[in-house]
Parts: sequence; C-alpha cells; structure tokens
Amino acid sequence: MNRIDEQLNRLFRAAAQAKPEGEFVPPYGAETRVLAAWRMGTPVEFLWDMSLLVRGLILASLIMGISLWPLMSQSANPFSDYLQLADSTIQVDNTP
Amino acid sequence: MTDAEVTACLARGRAGDEKAIIELYHYMYPHVAKLVHANLPPKESAEDLVQQVCIKVMRNLNQFSGKVPFLHWVSRIAVNTCLNQIRYERHRPEVRLADLSEEAAGVVEHLTVASEELDSSEKFAARELVEKLLAALRPADRLLMRLMYLEGYSIDEISNVTGWSQTLVKVRAFRARSQLRQRYILLMKENL
Repeated sequence: MNRIDEQLNRLFRAAAQAKPEGEFVPPYGAETRVLAAWRMGTPVEFLWDMSLLVRGLILASLIMGISLWPLMSQSANPFSDYLQLADSTIQVDNTP
Repeated sequence: MTDAEVTACLARGRAGDEKAIIELYHYMYPHVAKLVHANLPPKESAEDLVQQVCIKVMRNLNQFSGKVPFLHWVSRIAVNTCLNQIRYERHRPEVRLADLSEEAAGVVEHLTVASEELDSSEKFAARELVEKLLAALRPADRLLMRLMYLEGYSIDEISNVTGWSQTLVKVRAFRARSQLRQRYILLMKENL
C-alpha cells in the first residue's frame, strides 16, 4: 500500500467516527401516514369480487360467441345470399 | 428485534394488525434514517426522503418474500430511493484547499507530515474533508464509498443493499477510490 492510500485510510477511519449525533426518532404524526400507505398496499376484500366479475364477463362472452356462431358462419358463406334468392324464386315460381 | 420477532410481526401485519405495522415502522426507522442521512448531501431534505422510503416499504410490504433479512430489503429500497434522488445531480465541485475550513486544512497537513492516526478531536474536520472529496464523485460512486469506508459495509453487504453484483461493486470501488486518490493528491500539492 502506498503512502497516499495509507493517508486516505487514516482519513476515512477518522471520518467514520464522526457519526451524526443523537438517535433517529420518527417525527410526530408520521405513523398515520405510514399506516395509510400500508392500507393502500394491502390487498383488499373486493379483489375476490373483481376476479369473480372478470370470470363472469369471460363466461358471458363465451356464451355470446357460441350463440352467434351459426349466424356468423352463415353470413360468412359467400353463396348464402344467392342460395336464399334461388330458394325464394323457386318458391314464388311454384306457387300456384 | 430478532429475525423471528420480525417474521412474527410481519405475519401479524399481514393479518391486519396495525399495531404490528407500527412496531415494524419503529424498528426500521433508525436504520432508514441512518442510511438516508449518510447518503444524501446535507442540502437535501433527508427527513422527507426517510418518510418517502418508509411509505414505499409499507406500500410494498406484501411483496416482501422473506428470502432476505427484512432490513436488507428495506436498505435496498432506501439506497435506490437515495440514488434516484441524487442521480440527476450535475454539480460536482472540485475540492480546493482554500475552500476548506481551517480545521480540515489542518487535517490535510497532519496526514501529510505525521504517520499516526488522527486525533478524535479532528474527526469532524476529517468528515468535512471526506465529504468535500466525495462531493466530486458521481452519485453512485459516492454512495458506494460512503457505505464502504464510512459505514463499514462489506462488499457482500453492499451487493445486497444496492443489488449490484460483487464484481461491479469491486470495479466501481476501485475506480471511485482512484478518483478520490487523484483529488487528494491535488489537495496535497496545494498544501506544499
């Protein structure tokens, strides 16, 4: 260790002894703020209800999807309009 | 408070016991205050930051897994909050002998001419000198030097508290120490 390092070490050792005086005590009224912060971070009861709501929404979407599926698949058929037109034409022509 | 008591307190807190939360707060407050006061420049409002850290800890208490000691976890939050506070600090004054108090200048002279330890009456002047030298470093380096040399943390502890790897701590410490050495040499040259 060179001379400079040795001097720096002595300096740090002396400086480390100069700790701030007195004890650290929480300021008056700080407990309330801390408790409020803790309550904000605490998972609350309605989260269970929230998850139930989300599950309900997913189920409702599924039911809607399933019920609309036949309609969607029918409208997805590009010939469906022509088939309906032909069907109605045949019915009209065959009607006495 | 022992580790077992802290764990019990946390369990009570999670069960909704406010008294346990207050107990935890009183337990961690001196530790947080010490860390923040040690790592924040005197002009900054340390008390506000201590409160900010405590509130952050309490808000995230449910995320504490218990894998590390409670105070290590709190320290990491405190150190990161301090680093965020001083990260954008641009002003890093150079140290000049003329800017030092008479006592601090005396410390420089004492260190140069004598080889014995500094007298306890010189500790505050030594602290002043160290603070001036540290002020010229980057915030992260300054924090590292403070933890290492003034607070007596080991490399492992610094790694735990900052979240940096041990290699990074060593590299940063080496660089910061070199910079301190350069500045100290400049002071000494002024003193000659």
